[in-house]
Amino acid sequence: MIAVNAVSKFFGSVVAVSDVSFGIGQGVTALLGPNGAGKSTLFRMLCGLTPPSRGSVDVLGANPRTDRDVRGRVSLVPQQDALFDHLSASEFLELAARTHGVADPEGAAHRALGFVELTDVGAKPVGQFSKGMRQRVKVAASLVNDPEVLILDEPLTGLDPVQRRHMIALFHRLGDEGRCVLVSSHVLDEVAKIGSRVLVIAQGRLVASGDYRDLRELMDYRAHRIRLGASDPRKLASALVDRGLVSGLSIDDRNVMVDTLDVDAFGRQVAALSVELGVRLTEVEPLDDDLESVFRYLVEGR
Amino acid sequence: MSLAAPDRQQQPQRHVGAGTAVVLSYQVVLRQLTSRSRIIGLTLLALVAPISGFALGSADASLDDSVRLIASVGLGLVLPVVALVFAGAAIGDLRDDKTLVYLWLRPMDRWPIVVGAALAAGTLTAPITIIPIVAAAILTGAGNGIVGGTLLATIVGLVAYVAVFTLFGVWLKRFIVWGLAYILIWEGFIAQAGAGVARIALRKYTRSILVDRTGADLDLADFSLVMAVVVPIVVAAAALAVASWRLGSQDID
Repeated sequence: MIAVNAVSKFFGSVVAVSDVSFGIGQGVTALLGPNGAGKSTLFRMLCGLTPPSRGSVDVLGANPRTDRDVRGRVSLVPQQDALFDHLSASEFLELAARTHGVADPEGAAHRALGFVELTDVGAKPVGQFSKGMRQRVKVAASLVNDPEVLILDEPLTGLDPVQRRHMIALFHRLGDEGRCVLVSSHVLDEVAKIGSRVLVIAQGRLVASGDYRDLRELMDYRAHRIRLGASDPRKLASALVDRGLVSGLSIDDRNVMVDTLDVDAFGRQVAALSVELGVRLTEVEPLDDDLESVFRYLVEGR
Repeated sequence: MSLAAPDRQQQPQRHVGAGTAVVLSYQVVLRQLTSRSRIIGLTLLALVAPISGFALGSADASLDDSVRLIASVGLGLVLPVVALVFAGAAIGDLRDDKTLVYLWLRPMDRWPIVVGAALAAGTLTAPITIIPIVAAAILTGAGNGIVGGTLLATIVGLVAYVAVFTLFGVWLKRFIVWGLAYILIWEGFIAQAGAGVARIALRKYTRSILVDRTGADLDLADFSLVMAVVVPIVVAAAALAVASWRLGSQDID
């Protein structure tokens, strides 16, 4: 539904996005990157708000910059906290629906308010809303046209934990309905919850894409770090070194922290080894299988 | 519960018709522009014209002096400044506060957005300029010719200034600074230097209308009535066309 082909974007001498290519279909995809990585610029190009300096962007088979009709099938939740503050939430959503040519703007606005649980305050001016409520209004406004492609730029900013969970569940429902939902965030914990399909962008370049657990597996040249809780850490550590299962380790009172280059072999043998040694294993926890580790490896090179 | 609209399967590909888009743009921009402080401030500025007209009328000034007052204070200051503030902000403010995306990223053409915005600016500019400037003409007591000429010149100037400053607002980030430079430096100073330069100053056309309707003696005001009316309207149409093109081709935040 989205095809980005060798896209670069320059602002004068500044390279905001550099030679990025990817394709996205139905479902939820997370775009991860630190602030200033080029996420918003990429999103602006996907919506046609700015043209690529090089390459091409194709959304639903059309150029979003020049194709008027495709703009009715795409929605954007912009990062900036900008709304028509004098309008009530209902009025803002009705305006969004009317400008999308929706046949029943009042109905669409009412439904969208319900999706973000703001029906009770629909008559209040959005200028009086908290940041979190304004975020929800923006998300609701993006739903009034029943979009096939939904692009959300840091949509969880300002939301409390309950609303974050609710919003992430909403994204998954939208993805399950066959829409293409692309969500950006610089918060790793959020991205892990938003979806396992991840695009990682740093310094304007797409540094990785795919399931973030698979991404970690692809980096076999780096050691995996695992924490082992053991009744006798020293005995276990000594045996692991003797068997050549680890490339490095450290020990404290209860745990052995090991680095291994062959996580599969390690996983197969560690339990049997413990039994053989008479050491009780209380915990086997991969420490770098989370998104933060992936991000650190990919972006920061460590 | 599905998030899809009940009629999703039956929906044709949507776009917003030009007429509807003009109305929506007009409504949004009108409401954005309607600020009490802005209207009060500009109204106070506009009151300079009738106060000056009253003072001149009380002094039994000549027709030439009366026309000169209308041309300089009314058509040369009040009209363009009020038009600049409203028309420049019509799209310029939306772009600056980053709400333009809510009109831009929609299945509608660009020109209705620009036309709707210009109409909204014109709606607010008209009462704040036409009433005081025509009142100034009446208060000078210089006769009916000056009233009719002032009315026509103000309307023609309003159309042209609103369109040109709407373009400024679309194109230039510091549209107020550039607009004031145009009004005060170009029209108020450089264009006074000679007939050739004055041709590309809107003020020359509104002055020409005044002279044509009153027979007053005014410098740099020698266009025929037809030319003085048609050229500003053509300029307005061209400005809106360029603004529409520019809106479609510029980067939006």
